[in-house]
Amino acid sequence: MSIKTYYKVWKILALNALQEAFVNRATNVLFMVGKAMRLVMTVAFLLLIRGNVQTFAGYSTDQLVIFFLMYQILDVSSQVLFRGVYLFSNLIKSGEFDFYLSKPINPLFRALTGLPDINDALFLVPNMVLAGYLLSTLSVHITITSAVLFFILCMNSFLMITALHIFILAVGILITEVDGMVWLYRDLTRLGQFPITMYAEPLRLALFFVVPIGFMLTIPAQVLSNLVPTYSVAFTLTVGILFFLLSLRTWSFAVKRYSSASS
Amino acid sequence: MRKYWQLFLLSWQNGLVYRLSLLLWRLRQFLSTVMAMTIWTVVFTSQQTAFGYSQAQMITYIFTISILQSLVLASVLNGLSGEVYSGALSKELVKPLNLFAYLGIQDVADKAKNFIFVLIESALIFMIFKPELVLPNLTITIIFLVWLLGGMLLNFWISLLFGAIGFWSPQSWGPRFLFFMMVDFTAGKLFPLDILPQAVRAIVALTPFPYLSYYQTQLVLGRLDTAGVIQHSFILLLWVVVSGCCCIWLWKRGLQDYSAAGQ
Repeated sequence: MSIKTYYKVWKILALNALQEAFVNRATNVLFMVGKAMRLVMTVAFLLLIRGNVQTFAGYSTDQLVIFFLMYQILDVSSQVLFRGVYLFSNLIKSGEFDFYLSKPINPLFRALTGLPDINDALFLVPNMVLAGYLLSTLSVHITITSAVLFFILCMNSFLMITALHIFILAVGILITEVDGMVWLYRDLTRLGQFPITMYAEPLRLALFFVVPIGFMLTIPAQVLSNLVPTYSVAFTLTVGILFFLLSLRTWSFAVKRYSSASS
Repeated sequence: MRKYWQLFLLSWQNGLVYRLSLLLWRLRQFLSTVMAMTIWTVVFTSQQTAFGYSQAQMITYIFTISILQSLVLASVLNGLSGEVYSGALSKELVKPLNLFAYLGIQDVADKAKNFIFVLIESALIFMIFKPELVLPNLTITIIFLVWLLGGMLLNFWISLLFGAIGFWSPQSWGPRFLFFMMVDFTAGKLFPLDILPQAVRAIVALTPFPYLSYYQTQLVLGRLDTAGVIQHSFILLLWVVVSGCCCIWLWKRGLQDYSAAGQ
């Protein structure tokens, strides 16, 4: 199967999701209003902190905004692509996952990207505009080197986010329950709205080496802000790649234990 | 009365069936409290007051709001509209029980379970952060308990109002999501409402949302004078009565239209 075929399949799935979103227009509008309200609330809080606090855990308040934007963009992007993970337990419980396994498309691809979130895709636009505006107001020195390294680290962060979603899917196969796991993941990443280095041990260590939120969010933001990162860029990239490979091994392990009990 | 007690025990046991989900849910609550406590502890390392709050007041706010979120805002009735729309409500209607009492007892059992967990979590948070707290006197404590009951009752009626959507539409998650965002805005764990501009507070004060948790925290912190306590007591009572009347009327109408179509 070529990448072109996978893209074609994803496009069909995305169009289906779009049509579904148009069927439930009122509900989706309310979702958008709710998401906008949450974003405005968090930005208002950040701006209030920026106006009233000089430094925050050793960071300037402008740097704090970069940490927040890093979280916001990555979180929304991952939801656009991986929303299907939230409903994966239904496929396992109903036995519908059998159909994924019997088709000539990688079942992991279908499980991960099978339900793109149209609301978040639309919501990504105002997010990017807001990010652009906020970045233009910051007095943070960004060099070409820091921007390039930041871009590479963002790719690495996305690899880690993908790995985390794969872990959730694998757990879903093994224990037929992903809701709690996926919301725990969301809450853990929310901790990364602020620099992970501000948390006390052992939480800080866990947020780097158990669930690598620190490598995903804090290190790229530190690099973009021209700060010395808590762990080196090379080490961060190595962790990202190893974490992704480990997630694929876990997925293979889980799929071999899928019992198709409900079908 | 005995059958309602048995119902309470059954609901309690039911809440403990999915132990991993329960544990993950409580872990999420714990982490969000840790995040808020860390942020404000960091803010207060460089200053004595922030946004008109002392460190003790802000930490007490987070403690109080954590308890209130578990007791007032957490509810097992979030999926009620789905039960109504699918026709699953029929099995409750044929039982020799008052429907509102039946739903209320399920909710109380859930809150009792949350209360035990919130005590354990608060003890852990206390051991980690060793915070200085603002403790209310006996009179304020009694008024707080009354307002807490008022908030629980108000949230119960609001949950039933959302549940009633199921009589006519399967799409109840949009309005419910917006409601969660409003509540998060008016009584969020991250920051108190009164750090926002006066105009925003004035608009929010016209809604029932701050009466679910926000004013209770202000009472504990001693930020309301006697006139304020009397005024908010009446408004809370008014919201409870108005939402209760709306709820009873709407459920009567809904039950007339109810056809248990999904069964």
